[in-house]
Amino acid sequence: MTQRYEAAKLREICFPTSLRLCVFAFKAIPIVALLLLSVGCASTSAYRVPLTGDIMVDGPRMIAEGPPRDRVLWQYRTAAAAMRRGDFEQAKALLDAALTRLQGVYGADAEARKSRGLFNEEARKTFIGEPYERSMAYFYRGVLYWMDGELDNARACFRSAEFEDSGAEVSEYRGDWVLPDYLAGLATTKLGGKGDDELKRARANAKNINLPDYQPQANVLFVLEYGPGPQKYSSGEYAEQLRFRTRSSSVVSAQIKTGSINLQVAPTDDVNFQATTRGGRVMDYVLANKAVFKSTTSAVGDAAIISGAILASGRNHRNSAADEIGLGLMAAGILSKFISAATTPEADTRQWDNLPQFISFATLKLAPGEHVVTVEFNDINGAPLSHLTKNITVNVPSDGDKVVFVSDASITPQSQ
Amino acid sequence: MKTIVKLTFVITTAALVAGCASKGVRNPSGVPVTRLNADEQGFVAGTGVESQDLVSVTDQMARSILRIPQIANATTPPIIVLDPVENKTRFPINKDIFLTRLRSELNKKALGKVTFLARDRMAALEKERNLKREGSVTSSSDAGVQEFKGADYFLTGTLEGMTTRTAAGTSDYILYAFQLIDARTSAIVWEDNAEMKKQGLEDAAYR
Repeated sequence: MTQRYEAAKLREICFPTSLRLCVFAFKAIPIVALLLLSVGCASTSAYRVPLTGDIMVDGPRMIAEGPPRDRVLWQYRTAAAAMRRGDFEQAKALLDAALTRLQGVYGADAEARKSRGLFNEEARKTFIGEPYERSMAYFYRGVLYWMDGELDNARACFRSAEFEDSGAEVSEYRGDWVLPDYLAGLATTKLGGKGDDELKRARANAKNINLPDYQPQANVLFVLEYGPGPQKYSSGEYAEQLRFRTRSSSVVSAQIKTGSINLQVAPTDDVNFQATTRGGRVMDYVLANKAVFKSTTSAVGDAAIISGAILASGRNHRNSAADEIGLGLMAAGILSKFISAATTPEADTRQWDNLPQFISFATLKLAPGEHVVTVEFNDINGAPLSHLTKNITVNVPSDGDKVVFVSDASITPQSQ
Repeated sequence: MKTIVKLTFVITTAALVAGCASKGVRNPSGVPVTRLNADEQGFVAGTGVESQDLVSVTDQMARSILRIPQIANATTPPIIVLDPVENKTRFPINKDIFLTRLRSELNKKALGKVTFLARDRMAALEKERNLKREGSVTSSSDAGVQEFKGADYFLTGTLEGMTTRTAAGTSDYILYAFQLIDARTSAIVWEDNAEMKKQGLEDAAYR
């Protein structure tokens, strides 16, 4: 009995409990770190798609070979670029694929669930965009349906564009797009119904814009877009807050010229306004909590390491209780720092980066046949910015409507 | 001594994790979309118009049409033309698919009791007739005689929707209404409808 006690005492002297605990903790730290790192980076290494900077090359490539979680993002971007090139068939296919994903977002989603976890970034979730991005996807698809003469499906898209905006935090900003409501009402009018309700709603949201009465006999609908759209960025100590940067547009209006017609077109909707009036997201609370966790684990880790070091290096006798507690605290502190480092509260700043700032419209009655149309984009003084002027050859059919889509980023000349 | 060290380590680590646990979010995983038919419940991807709705609605409508006297008791098969469905919902859909399936179900179940006209093929049919009239192609009958038939009835419909969105989720109600209209009198000789209600909530990551 005495021998066993002596042996235990000897072991304790040669290899004290605190030391063993420290060895265990230090052994565990790399394993924990590696595990956290591998979990955090598991999804980023599989997709290495070289980008050229040309959206019409990069977009299809990223959709086919890029991470599935970014597919909708690239479909949005490529669709917008295709519309500006007059490739409406490609835009249709891309938006249909994106909207199918968007409409099926309900219920549990493994990647979305993981993106809420402490050790996964928000950007891990499948991108469907913020409400203003989703609304724009529906808006573009509505314009394309109208081009095909499917006014009821166009109206459905415009209604969905408003629906996507219906979750804004402040009720005043819910479903407050102007053009989707106006065009939904115009479609209803052209289909033989009454678009009064939608016109009334559009006018209520239009504030200072004078929206004209519907003219069902007008057979050409110009849809215009210009200016730079909103940019997402993150702020906060850990980049956990999603913010929007708006840039002032050099273009503030457009001018449509054809024959004797010279029509000035003011903006109807401001995408920047829509992006910045959404209010808080549920995900913002999740990210804020992640940031608190990260901050607290870091602070506690610091405190534990410092207090542990003080205790362990104090004037205590060797192998005293304070020594033991001090080393234990240091080990826990280091583990806490690792946990803090692995926590990812960064907001998802993936964005539909080629959206415009302004969208607008004009309706005209033109005789069937070919018309040469010039669209000028004007600065704040009303002077045209010549490098943005577009020349469009418009073929007006003998029956049905002609929809002409022109962006300040459209290629020119173009035939539609 | 060992106990003190272990206790310190465990308590500190537990405090790190438990003390900083994030606040709860209601329904963080979302609520799966549920189809709210009276006698059926299933999991679907969205709250809009989907294939199961199409099948269910057109089956119901086809059975309903065949029971009306104008068709069940007709001595000669009534001639029906399909007029496109109007979509008044917020969901863009392929509208033709409803009438296409309805027509094929009726043709399958009616066993010759109704005849549909291929008005959507008129351009090709007129071209063929003109070729026959010109003698460019052979004809098994007198090409000069007008043989394109007129409609006895128009079969058409509307899809109407109502949407509610709250913090608890999104609810979409869709009414599928179909009518058979007498082409001569404009009387609606048959009308029936089907309705669907679906609701769902997306993951908190998307809210």
